[in-house]
Amino acid sequence: MISEAAVQTVANVFMLSAIYILVALGFALLMNVLGILNFAHAAIYMAGGYICYELIVGAGMNPWVSLLISAVAIGALGLLIERVLFRPFLKDMNSIVVITLALIIILEATVNVTVGSYIRRIPSFVPGVFRVGTVSLSGDRLATFVIGSCLLAAAILFIRKTKTGTQMLAVSQDFDAAALQGINTRRIFALTTAIGCALAAVAGSLMGAVLSLSPLMGDYMLVKAIEIVILAGIGSIGGVLIGGLILGLLDASLPLFIGGSATDLIGLSIVIILLLFRPQGLFGHEA
Amino acid sequence: MTGERRIKTKRGGRKKLFISLGIVVLLCLVPLSTTSPYYLHTLIITFIYVMAAASLRTILLSGQISIAHAAFMGVGAYASAILAKELGWTPWLTMPLGGLFSLVFGAVIGYPLTRVRAIYFSMVSLFVGLAIVALLGVLQGITGGDIGMIDIPPLSAIAVPGLPHIDFDGSKIPYYYFFLILSFLILLVLYRIEHSRIGTSWKAIAQAHMVASAVGINESGMRILAFSVGCFFAGLAGAGYAHYNMVLTRSSFGFLSSINLLIYVLVGGSGSFAGPIIGTAVLVIVPEIVRSLQTFAPFVFGGIMLFVVFFMRQGIAGLFEQLQSKLTRSKKREMPGRAP
Repeated sequence: MISEAAVQTVANVFMLSAIYILVALGFALLMNVLGILNFAHAAIYMAGGYICYELIVGAGMNPWVSLLISAVAIGALGLLIERVLFRPFLKDMNSIVVITLALIIILEATVNVTVGSYIRRIPSFVPGVFRVGTVSLSGDRLATFVIGSCLLAAAILFIRKTKTGTQMLAVSQDFDAAALQGINTRRIFALTTAIGCALAAVAGSLMGAVLSLSPLMGDYMLVKAIEIVILAGIGSIGGVLIGGLILGLLDASLPLFIGGSATDLIGLSIVIILLLFRPQGLFGHEA
Repeated sequence: MTGERRIKTKRGGRKKLFISLGIVVLLCLVPLSTTSPYYLHTLIITFIYVMAAASLRTILLSGQISIAHAAFMGVGAYASAILAKELGWTPWLTMPLGGLFSLVFGAVIGYPLTRVRAIYFSMVSLFVGLAIVALLGVLQGITGGDIGMIDIPPLSAIAVPGLPHIDFDGSKIPYYYFFLILSFLILLVLYRIEHSRIGTSWKAIAQAHMVASAVGINESGMRILAFSVGCFFAGLAGAGYAHYNMVLTRSSFGFLSSINLLIYVLVGGSGSFAGPIIGTAVLVIVPEIVRSLQTFAPFVFGGIMLFVVFFMRQGIAGLFEQLQSKLTRSKKREMPGRAP
């Protein structure tokens, strides 16, 4: 019995971490490459989940096709947002803060008006449970973990190995030097936003199947994304993975022993204490 | 040259004083024309948020965009409410104590926060805000946790011999005048601080922190000072709210409230003192007007924000200043040889 609970918890840790990292990776990319703090990133994650929900439940489409469409649609939305809302204000932090907050309000209101504010649940992508020995795992949790890890591996390979990815890294390290090298920074900005948003959309859809969808789910995830990025340190992609695992471990295991708000408090305190001793995060270069 | 400029700013200051006194007199007349509790309530809430937003701008002056400000309102509110409820002290004493508690808390938190700047500061302050709200949940023995804290004593009656007896029970009108006067006084103090040597140092730090420390400004000290002064007035506003509302729930000081305060300041225009006042007035009162739109009302709110960003880069208050400078510039053109 005890071992089963332990295995379930471990499975939860990995599942939750995968979702956290998917969202936090996009958030970190936007922050490193564009240099903006996109508060709306988690609202975009929420919107992705709802698009997937509407396609499956409303239009009766195949779940996997819906997941893909949702990611593509949100990626396109990201392109639009980057072009219209972000690009004119890249150097102006105050404006970016107002714009991204306005985006949160508008996206949440759009969901409230179109779908409603009740909590929804996306039907299972992989119905049924898998049995490994005496332990059973729900298909969705397994699928979330598998999809999440594959996407992460793909994203990291893309960033590290392809020319475009290297260009993204170059822009994130030094915008001016990268632009002088002839890198098309506008294209990189657009691509980064699209990728980040699409990853968030997938995470939102998966979360909708594993747990539930609500218009306010983004607020919670925004905090987690920021926590992970701070833990990781600015400019570190690998750190996002570690940070996501740490936070997933805390959030999936601590509530078993102590209350929900105490868990939040511990997670937040760890981040604050870490900052006291290592302002640059675990893997960052400098703050 | 400097003497000339000083006279000029003084004259400008007097004009501003007259305008603000005019607004205060007009607001004083409101309860005579309407006694509708709904209107009074909306205005009281506006006053409370004006205090909070103006004190948030004080922190912003030093280049620190804090996303924890509502949480510090909560610190002041809960401190004052607990002292008044558990120890039975009069709210007239516990409110300043609530502010002081928030100040101390702000100084303790502001110290580690000086290690981070710009977006990193904003992100860490966001955690601090969340951690405070989580802490309020953990301490549910005294704060009531998610159920909330009830039976907070209202402001006790003013019974000074020779003055009319003012009772805060029942009517909203005494509260209205109380918050009107309190917010006016707080704004005066904040204005004086901003135009003192301290305020100038804050602005210098915000513009170029290296240069500021090179000319001998104690950067971290000044940043902590800005943060704790802002927290003091936020705590005071929160404490006032506690004794007005008489019920506290921790969610009213959460992430969204902090974000809203920041929106008030930025939409109003963080560059000018009137910014947070105008921003709060517009963004608290307009949603009340369009309340009949129900679920569509947030679009108005978001629409205003986007409109301001795209068409009024300096916020709503910046628009007035631009108009003013255009007017004065056309006057100045007649006098040659002077830099604008």
